[in-house]
Amino acid sequence: MIELDNIHVTFNPGTPLENHVLRGINLRIDNGEFATVIGGNGAGKSTLLNVLAGEVCAQPGRVLIGERDVTRLPAFKRADLVARVYQDPLAGTCGSLTLEENMALACARGRRRGLGSALDSALRGRLQDNLARLGLGLENRLNDSIGLLSGGQRQAVSLLMAALQPMEILLLDEHTAALDPRIASFVLTLSADIIREQRLTALMVTHSMRQALDVGDRTIMMDQGEIAFDVRGEQRQGLDVADLLKLFERARGQEVDDDSLLLG
Amino acid sequence: MSLIAFLGALELGLIFGFVALGVYLSFRVLDFPDLTVDGSFPLGAAVAAVWIVGGGSPWLGTGLAMIAGAMAGMVTAWMAVKLKILNLLASILSMIALYSINLRIMGRPNIALLSEPTIFVPLESLPVSRYVAFPAAIAVGLLLVTFLLNRFLNSETGLAMRATGETPRMASGNGINTSVMVLVGMALSNALVALGGALFAQSQGSADVTMGVGTIVVGLAAVIGGQSLIPGRSILVATLACLFGSILYRLMVAVALNADFIGLKAQDLNLVTALLVGLALVLPKLRLRRRPA
Repeated sequence: MIELDNIHVTFNPGTPLENHVLRGINLRIDNGEFATVIGGNGAGKSTLLNVLAGEVCAQPGRVLIGERDVTRLPAFKRADLVARVYQDPLAGTCGSLTLEENMALACARGRRRGLGSALDSALRGRLQDNLARLGLGLENRLNDSIGLLSGGQRQAVSLLMAALQPMEILLLDEHTAALDPRIASFVLTLSADIIREQRLTALMVTHSMRQALDVGDRTIMMDQGEIAFDVRGEQRQGLDVADLLKLFERARGQEVDDDSLLLG
Repeated sequence: MSLIAFLGALELGLIFGFVALGVYLSFRVLDFPDLTVDGSFPLGAAVAAVWIVGGGSPWLGTGLAMIAGAMAGMVTAWMAVKLKILNLLASILSMIALYSINLRIMGRPNIALLSEPTIFVPLESLPVSRYVAFPAAIAVGLLLVTFLLNRFLNSETGLAMRATGETPRMASGNGINTSVMVLVGMALSNALVALGGALFAQSQGSADVTMGVGTIVVGLAAVIGGQSLIPGRSILVATLACLFGSILYRLMVAVALNADFIGLKAQDLNLVTALLVGLALVLPKLRLRRRPA
């Protein structure tokens, strides 16, 4: 469960570069809910994820994840609650470690790390089973440096890595934006499958209105640091991109002017 | 080159193998260019020498040298992580400060250890020559340390440290306290360098406050040179490559200085070092350029 209470974020406060990125976000996402977040450039989507991940501190505001107040906790201290897949496939995996070492690293997310060997045959077996579901043949490449994998393969692995350990919420940060269309839809389907199987509470930021409607059970549109609208359930069923644009116009009194949003 | 000169170069190469492992840890694993080593190498020598001259056990003195080195590394890391001083600059501050600290510890610019009970003294009663026994004993210790370092870098904490150096954001997203990793890694790195300093002082018979000048360059020569000659991403290959680089560097220096026809003298050592490191940095790139992607 996620609860955001009057979240404000200002970058460079008190300087000429002052930028009020989030302006009073109130949001509650229930357990097992899969919400997609959409918005143009500068709408505050990524900052919202960063507030949840602990990379940006809300000022003022209160952040609850799974009933725990994490407002002041840095990212590494809330890693047991939050798993994340980044937009850049290179960001979520460590290029000089092997595939199995990357996954072993993720297996220890939010746990104390000891001096024992990071990998043993039991863990290798588990990792191979996990990789086999991708159907990419990666289960036979445990010892390859992850830098040898393509961007799409690395992103699929990042997703598996995020889901290796229990979590309270999963954050997907435009995680298909940097991939070619075929592999992007593969990664998107895989995300939806994993979220459904493990009944995860998830927040997916996307640039594409189509994608925001195709997966998940709730869609939140952001604009200029505020929530423009928030649709779910019956209200969301049968909506298409044109309906979203109309909803936006009604809520904000203006048309969507971000080309990338319209083209996505 | 005579056999004695060869064995002498081998011995130095092995001692600087500890320095190479330390520099590998900071420069490669943590991506932290660390000039503290120019101060922590003589720091190790100073602590061990003062302890031994004062009548203490040479083994304990060597251990204390490592602890002192670890503390120096932690100070540098603390300046970089907590005070947000640029890492290279933080290490330069430590290096400069250590010069004074080393003088304070020794009380004079150098301490002779020739007739003192160093950890090498038991070897002198062996039937084999000192020139063979010393390098052999150091090699055993070096391989043991390399083995332990490999174990560590392949442990859960070791993986966390490697991820910290390369992708700090991903590391903290996985619950790794990157600040602690940098502190621990830098402590370990400088403990190894100080160990090298303590062994150097004991095998060469003196500790000198100026002996640290250029330690980082020698360490980099070993790490960069070794890894460009023996590429490979596994930790085992990388650490062994550093040791190989360290020995090779000493042999090359010995050859260069011993070959009369080149006309190099001892004072040219640093120039030769700089050229060798520069060469090791450029060669891999030339190789890549010739082989189109």
